[in-house]
Amino acid sequence: MDTAIGGAYHRFPSTRLSLVEAAATGLPNEALERVIALYWKPVYRFIRLKFRKDNEDAKDLTQGFFTTALERDFFARFDPGKASFRTYLRMAVERFAQNQYAAANRQKRGGDIEFEPVDERAATTESPEQAFEREWQRQLFALSLDDLRAHCEECGKQLHYRIFEAYDLAEGERPSYADLAARHGIPETAVTNHLAWARRTLRGFVTDRVRGTTSGPRELNEEMRRVWI
Amino acid sequence: MDLGDSVLDHLRQVAALPDLAGTHYELECEIGRGGMGVVYAARDRELDRRVALKVLEVALAGEAQLIAKLEHPAVVPIYEAGTLPDGRAFYAMKLVTGLRLDGYVAGLASLAKRLEVIRRVGEALAFAHARGFIHRDLKPQNVMVGEFGEVYVMDWGVDAVAGTPGFRAPDARLDRRSDIYALGGLLQFLLPVPPPPALQAIAAKAMSADPAARYSDVAAFLLDMERFQEGLAVEAWAEPWWHRLRRYGARNAVLLWLLAAYAAVKFLLFFLRNL
Repeated sequence: MDTAIGGAYHRFPSTRLSLVEAAATGLPNEALERVIALYWKPVYRFIRLKFRKDNEDAKDLTQGFFTTALERDFFARFDPGKASFRTYLRMAVERFAQNQYAAANRQKRGGDIEFEPVDERAATTESPEQAFEREWQRQLFALSLDDLRAHCEECGKQLHYRIFEAYDLAEGERPSYADLAARHGIPETAVTNHLAWARRTLRGFVTDRVRGTTSGPRELNEEMRRVWI
Repeated sequence: MDLGDSVLDHLRQVAALPDLAGTHYELECEIGRGGMGVVYAARDRELDRRVALKVLEVALAGEAQLIAKLEHPAVVPIYEAGTLPDGRAFYAMKLVTGLRLDGYVAGLASLAKRLEVIRRVGEALAFAHARGFIHRDLKPQNVMVGEFGEVYVMDWGVDAVAGTPGFRAPDARLDRRSDIYALGGLLQFLLPVPPPPALQAIAAKAMSADPAARYSDVAAFLLDMERFQEGLAVEAWAEPWWHRLRRYGARNAVLLWLLAAYAAVKFLLFFLRNL
């Protein structure tokens, strides 16, 4: 069910502008690019669960949503005083999918048909909204890991990344620090230092990604709480 | 890159761990999270003692300074504040061992002990209010009862906190009366079932939707609670006459027993004299 659309995003300005700042400086496309990179998968997953769409339909709707957002004044209508950008975006997706569904049914049957938000939650206890939030976190970390890997390659810290990857990205049992030290011919203290550096740097990339898709310090704080607490 | 749930959760946890290099603290374990940050148990190598280390996840200044100004027996003392290499603020404070109030109330604490907790929380609030501070997020999870019965009010509020449902006043702007609302919520939370009507009324008055209908200050709230404990009529409740009579009886039990004994002796003497 995974999809390749909305893939990796490697650009890394050291401090990203917030959405509002980006819009103000005339860079809405750059801001939209960030939003798409972070939100394509959460939106796709939300549509699949909330509107019981199959893989292809969900992809089409997701693509349609972002295309429409590109064409319309999506950012201009966002009011940070009313909701977080994430909530605004999720509600916009919901409205968009409902409108699409109603339009499709009008064409087929010649009349309005009530949209039925159906849950395809047999396999999961998560609500579509929870799945959207979870997928947002997943994508946030996935993109930040891409940033970390690219950063490690740029500054010659490939060993840091390899140790981090072997330990923190292990799906099953994690190797011991002693194993990692022996494998790479370094002292155990170096393993802990490399891990601490990679984690701290990852955290910085996560913060930067969040900053790039929020409207300012207040929303950034709120989103940071959601990520870490 | 596709991340499984377990890796994602692990990353969220390890990337949040504070890097204490360059400090005199050694991380032990996480002991709580909420509000604006995560609290860890740590060892202070210089003084060879355990401390609680709160790491703030959001860029808020002044929380440590605020608490440090509240030197009160029911406010956890701050030892030190600083900044981690990644820019996050942290502060070290006394590590309190004991139970959170929600755990304490699940035990067998008597009503008198529960009211004692409320009294101490109220005193800490009154102290803070007198210095121009408000708590903003008073709730059972933010009150600790130590192993010797000491009470600590934790997580003194900062601007970003807007309270917790059930204890948050419906006020547009939080102020001292919002804290009084939360104190009423705390009293309500601690009351046994069925609750004594006078205490129920005190909690209800403190939790009035209209701030002007609440107690004017914490001292008035505590005074009303004290009246209940001394068997006097409370300001919050217009009690029915039979309740007043019963309360009068309970409050003057010795006097009533003496009067009854006196009447019995008089009756006995009268009876014996007329034999």
